[in-house]
Order: sequence, then C-alpha cells, then structure tokens
Amino acid sequence: MVELKNVDVHYNDGLKGGIDALNDVNIRINDGEFVFIVGSSGAGKSTLLKLLTREIQPTKGRVFVNDYNLSKLKNRKLPYFRRSLGMIFQDFRLIPNLTVYENVAFVLRVIDKSKRYIRQRVPYVLNLVKLGDKAKCYPSQLSGGEQQRVAIARAFACDPQIIIADEPTGNIDPALSYEIVELLMDINECGTTVIMVTHDHEIVRHFGGRVINLKDGSVDYDDYMEGGR
Amino acid sequence: MRMSNFSYLVKRGVGSVFRNAMMSFASFCVLLVSLFLVSVSCLLAYDLGVVFANIEEKNEIDVFVQGSVTQEQLTHITDAININTNTDRFIFYSKDEAWADQQASNPEFTEVFDQFNAIEENPMPHTFRVTVKDISIISQTADEFATIEGVEKVAAPYDFASALVDIRSTLTAIGITLLVVLILTSIIIIYNSIRSSVFTRQKELNIMKVVGATNAFVKIPFFIEGMFIGIAAGVASWFITKLTYDAIVGLFQSNFEIWQIFGMVDIMSFDSVTWIVLAANCVLGALLGAIGTVISTAKYLKV
Repeated sequence: MVELKNVDVHYNDGLKGGIDALNDVNIRINDGEFVFIVGSSGAGKSTLLKLLTREIQPTKGRVFVNDYNLSKLKNRKLPYFRRSLGMIFQDFRLIPNLTVYENVAFVLRVIDKSKRYIRQRVPYVLNLVKLGDKAKCYPSQLSGGEQQRVAIARAFACDPQIIIADEPTGNIDPALSYEIVELLMDINECGTTVIMVTHDHEIVRHFGGRVINLKDGSVDYDDYMEGGR
Repeated sequence: MRMSNFSYLVKRGVGSVFRNAMMSFASFCVLLVSLFLVSVSCLLAYDLGVVFANIEEKNEIDVFVQGSVTQEQLTHITDAININTNTDRFIFYSKDEAWADQQASNPEFTEVFDQFNAIEENPMPHTFRVTVKDISIISQTADEFATIEGVEKVAAPYDFASALVDIRSTLTAIGITLLVVLILTSIIIIYNSIRSSVFTRQKELNIMKVVGATNAFVKIPFFIEGMFIGIAAGVASWFITKLTYDAIVGLFQSNFEIWQIFGMVDIMSFDSVTWIVLAANCVLGALLGAIGTVISTAKYLKV
C-alpha cells in the first residue's frame, strides 16, 4: 500500500525562494492495483517517484510505502525498505559488465538469497520475460526492448510488493512498448502493485485503468479510465 | 551475509582489479613507490640508530682520582659511580696499569722512564672509565662525578656528544617527517586513483543502492580491490627493498675499514628481517588501499 498525506515538496534552489514541486498531494494506492501516473514535464512525476523510493523527503506531510513510514525511516533501514520495491527505469540501468543472468542474480545476492534459490529463480523470471535463451548475453548485445525486459525480470526477481516503473517505454520502439506494459500487467495479475509513470497518453488510453494526472505539482485527475484494448 | 554471497563479492573485487587494469596499475605504482620509500627509510633509520649506538658506546667519561686517595675513598667513588642512574658500565684503570701502559707505548723512552722510576713515584692517577646510558645528559653526569669526594677532575667529550645528540635529533625529525609525508601522500594519491575508479562505476553503485544493497555490500568489492592492490604492491615493494638494501649494504661493506669505525659491522642483514618487512609491507599496503577505498566510496553511497 502507498499513501501520501498532505505532501508538499519544496526545492531550495537559492533563487526567489525555490520551487514548489508538489503541493498538498494526497494519493492512496491499494495493494494489487495498477496505476498510471501521467503529467507533462515539471508536473512533479519525478519528485513523486523520488518520494516513493525515499531519495528525498517531503517538506511537509507523510509518505507510507509498504507499511514503512518514510518520514521516520532511518538511513540504515533504507536498503531493507528498498528491497520491498522493484524499480524499472527508462534507461534500463543494467550493469554493463554483467551478463543478463548475472544482472538478475545480482539483486538476489543483494538480498542475501542462497545460491540454490538464485539458480532456480533467475531462469524462472527470465523465462517469464521470454529471455531464457539470452541468459549469457551482455546488455550491449540486446535490443532496447530486450534490455527493458531484463530490467523487468530484475525488478520482479525479488518478488517485491510494489513495482515502480519510471517511463519504462520511453527508450523503446512504440510497437514494443505495448509488449512491455502487457508484461507489467501480467506481473500485476500475480498480485504485485504496479505504479507506472509515463507521458505516453496512447498507452494509457489503450490499457486504461486507474490514472493519476499531475499538473503543476498537484493531483489534477485521479480516476478510472476505460481502456480501448 | 551468506558465505556464497561474500565469496561472490570477493571475486567481484578481485575481478575489477583486472577489469579496471589501467586504474589498478596506477594505484599499484603509487603504493609501490610509497611502500618502497617507507621500507628503505625505516631500514636505514634502524641502521643509523645502530651506527649511532656504536658511536655512543665509544663515549666515555674519564674520572681521575686524586693521588692521595685512600682505599676507603676509592670504594666510596666506586659506589657513587655505580649508583649513578646514567652509568651503563665502568672499568677501573689503576695508576699502576696506566703507568705500565704509558711505558709500554713509548719504548723509545725506556731509559728516561727507568731514571724517573728511580727518583719519583708513579705520577699517573687512578681512573674510572664510565660508559653512559644517555649521551644527551653526559655533561650533567660528568658534573655529578666531579662532586664526588676524592675525584680530582673529570674529562668527557662534551662537544662531540652534543653534536652527536643534535645530529641524531635532526635525523629523527627528518625521518618522522618523511614517513608522515610519504604515508599522507600515499593516502591522497590512492584516494584520487580509487575515486576515479569509483567515479567510472558510479552508475553501478547507484543501481546497487536502488535495489537495496547495504553500504557494506557496496563497499566490500571496492575494499577487496584496494586491499588486493595494496598487498600486491606490498610484495613488490618487499622485493625491490631487498634488492636495494642488499646493494646499499654491499656498497658500504666494500669499504669495510671505514665503516667499521662507525659500527657498520653490527648492521643487520635483510634476511634476518625479511618476513617482518614482507608482513609490514603487505599490512601497510592493504591498509592504505583499504582506507583509500573506504574514503573514496563514501561520497557515492548517498543515493
């Protein structure tokens, strides 16, 4: 569960009193939901994601993610909180000198899973994203869509409660974008909450579901939209 | 942490030494030069200490006893010298021994001595030759001996002792400064080399933090990398130090007669300290590498 209560984020840039990135934002996302977060540049999408991963703290208000009160979360507990999230980025963020298998296994090593578990889990998630045959490839040998599927496999490998995808279709062909979102929908059907930030309105219209539109740092729209698929 | 995951991190640390070969080589060279200079400085400083100790050994206070001294007074003087805290050891050089030595060392004046002996008594005084523990207070010790009842006068190489003390203090100060400067320079250069290496892997560090790696998990491979380079530099430094030290000692020993005066005969051989030098180089190398790594990664862990 994700809950933001009366959240303000103010950036001090030293000029004319700074910038209000978020103003009195109230959002609640229940377990198992699939939510699109949309908005134009500067609307506050990135700030919202940074709040959810506790890269920043709110100036005012409270943020709860997976039963963690992020305002009170101590730095030494931060890694353990982040293990309850799966992150997917626009630029994939795969480790270039590790193979596909090693990239996925890496997060399992981070959370101190046994060798045996890793040997079973990695092929399973790679098959889930249809990359079982690319396990020995390096990221540079894959297409953008394939790299993003590896990133999805990595995010899902730890079986997180929430997957946060930051513009996951931003760097791949439009035709492959639908495939990526469908993959995320499949993961969501397994019970994982998915929060996907995008500026691709076509995708949102195609899939529908809960859509939160941010405008000038505030929630402009938060409702369910009928999909066209 | 599981053993399998720990060994994975160790493998990654060692692997990245070779993956970032150029950076590793730069760090290795910096460490090697620093460790080598520190090792050679320490060994030569130790030898210099031995040389000075030998020179100091040759510094004696001559305590001349009055001619009219009684046996009781002689015992009193012996006791007073014996209990002085700066007395290391002493020998009693009797007036008879002194006179006999005087005659033996001047055989060309045998007749003069014979004539002198016929009309005069032995003119030499009893003497105590005292070797002191601390040469820097030789003057004070000599003054104390001069106040003992029955002592005629005291002779000590005050100027030589003072010069020796000055040279020793100056060399010690230079040695310590050199050591501190070398260690600090090493840490700074290692810090910069590893920081560049860490900077090129900033993305990797960021990913690690985002997926929930603890600081320790992120640092271990870098730590191992720093230690590995440090130990390798330590072994290489030990080897070069051995070659250099043996060459320097060989050079000095070829002029044996001159250096014997300064006590070079007591200079240690490298073989007697080889394991200590190897261990010290490896430990110091590993420590410098590890410290440099820990400091340079800290900045990039604030994700």
